[in-house]
Amino acid sequence: MTQKLYTWSILSLVLIFLIGPFFIIVAASFSAGDTLAFPPQGFSVKWILKVFTVESFQQSFVTSMILAIGGTLTALILGIPAAYAMSRYKLPGAEIVRFMVSMPIIVPGIIVGLALLRYFVIPLGISISLALFIAHTALVLPYAVRVVSASLNNLRSDMEEAAVLLGSSRAGAFFRVVLPNIRGGILAAFILGFVTSFNQVPVSLFLSGPGVRTLPIDMLGYMEIVFDPSIAALSSLLAFLSIGIVFAAERFLGFSRYV
Amino acid sequence: MFQNRTEALALALPAAVFAAVVFLVPVALLLSEGFKTADGWTIQAYIDFFSMPLNQAVFLRTLKLGLTVTLAAAVIGYAAAYAIVTLPASSKGKMIGLVVLPLMISPVARTYAWIVILGRTGIINQALSAVGLTDGPVRILFTETAVFIGLLQLFLPLMIISLISALENLPRDAVPAARVLGANWFQVFWKVILPLSREGLIVGGTLVFTGSLTAYITPAILGGSKVLMLETLLYQQVTVANNFVSASIIALILIAMSFAANILLRRIASARSAK
Repeated sequence: MTQKLYTWSILSLVLIFLIGPFFIIVAASFSAGDTLAFPPQGFSVKWILKVFTVESFQQSFVTSMILAIGGTLTALILGIPAAYAMSRYKLPGAEIVRFMVSMPIIVPGIIVGLALLRYFVIPLGISISLALFIAHTALVLPYAVRVVSASLNNLRSDMEEAAVLLGSSRAGAFFRVVLPNIRGGILAAFILGFVTSFNQVPVSLFLSGPGVRTLPIDMLGYMEIVFDPSIAALSSLLAFLSIGIVFAAERFLGFSRYV
Repeated sequence: MFQNRTEALALALPAAVFAAVVFLVPVALLLSEGFKTADGWTIQAYIDFFSMPLNQAVFLRTLKLGLTVTLAAAVIGYAAAYAIVTLPASSKGKMIGLVVLPLMISPVARTYAWIVILGRTGIINQALSAVGLTDGPVRILFTETAVFIGLLQLFLPLMIISLISALENLPRDAVPAARVLGANWFQVFWKVILPLSREGLIVGGTLVFTGSLTAYITPAILGGSKVLMLETLLYQQVTVANNFVSASIIALILIAMSFAANILLRRIASARSAK
C-alpha cells in the first residue's frame, strides 16, 4: 500500500511538472482578455482565430512547412543510399562516413547557422532561403541515416542476395525487394525529421532576412513585442499538430519501434 | 554483404560530401577565426576572452546551470523511473508515453508556458499574495531560478527514459532481497540500485548536461539579457557587438563540450555491445 502511494504521488508530481504548463498555455489561449493570464479572463476563441489572420505567421508557417518537408525529403534522398552502403557493403572508410553524417547532431545548431551565414550567404551570395534549406537538410540527415540504418539492419540481407542471384540487377533488387520492406522505417524517419526541423530554433536564428523566417523564430520575435494571448494560442495549435502527427504515426506504424 | 567498393562509395559519398561541404568547412572556418590575427596564429584572443569578467560569469553560470539541472534531473529521474518500472505492464506503456509526449511539443511553446506561471502576475505570485506571504510580486522570471526550472522541464524526460531502460534490467529480486537483509532505503539505493543502473545514469546525465549547456530558447525567453548563457552570449556578441572572435571562441567551447559528451556516450554504447 505504501509502495502504491509512493508510486502515484511521485508520478503525479512529475507529470504535473512536465505536462501541467502545457494545459495552462491551452487554457490561456481561450482567454477573452487582452493580456496573457491564467486563470483566463472569460472564454473566447478570438485569439485562436487571430493567429490565422496575422500575415507574418502565415508566411513563416509556409516557410517552416517547406523547410521541414523539403529538407527531410532531401536528407532521405542523401541518407538512404548512405545507410544502405553502410549496412550492405564493405564500405572503405565507413567510420568516417558515419562520423560525417552524424556531425550535425554534435555541433550546436546556432554555430551551424552562423557559419553558413558568414561563409556562404555573405561572401558567395547564396540566398538566405537556400542557406536555411541546406541547414535544415543537414540537421535532419543524422536522424534519416540512423533510423533507416536501424530498419535495414533488421531486414535480412539474403532476400536481396537471392534476387541478385536470380538475375535481378542490384538496383532492381533494391527497389523491388529492399525498399518495400523498409517503408515503415523511412516513414518514421520522415516524421522524426519533420518534427525536428519544424521545431528547430537555433539553426535558423542567424538565417532570417526580410520575408524569410521560420515560424519558431517569428514567434520568438513576436513575443518580445506583444503580450497578448496569440502566442499561447499558436503554441497550443502547434502542440496539438505535433501530438496528432506522432499519435497517428504510433497508431498506424508503431512509430516507437523505429526511434 | 556486397563487395563492390566503387558502388559502395558512390552510394555513400553524396551524403558525406554534403555534410563536409555545408558543415565541416564553414564550421572549421568559423573556429579558425578565434586563433587568427594579422601576424599569425595565437591563443591571445582566448586569454583576452577569459580575462573579461562578463565572459567568466557567463561561462561559470552555464556550467553551474548544466550541473545543477543534471543533478536535479537525476534525483527526480530516479524517483520517477523507479515508480514507472514497478507499474504493471499496461499502465507502464501509457506512463512512458506521457513522459515522452512533451519532447514532441515545440520548445518555444513549452518555455513560453513558464512566463504565465512565473511572471509578475503569474500563478506563483497570485498564490503567494493570496496566502499573504509576500507584499509585492516576487521576481522569478528573468532570474537563474527561472532558467533552471525551464531547463529541468525541457530535459527531464530524457533522464527518465534513460533510467527506465537501465532499471528494467535490474534483477527483480535485488531490491526486496536487500530490504529483507536489513538495508535501509538509502543503502539500497547507494549499494544496489546505483551500481546496477550507472550506465543509464551516465547516458541520461550526458544528454541533460549537453542539452542544458547548448540551450538557447530557455535562457533567451526566461533569462533575458540578465541571465546570459553561452549560446545567448554568442547571439549577443554577433548581433549587438559584431564580435566574431568572441563568437568563434564560444563556438569552440560549445563544440568541445558536446564532443566530449558524445565520445563518452559512444564509449558506453560500445562497452555495452561488447558484453
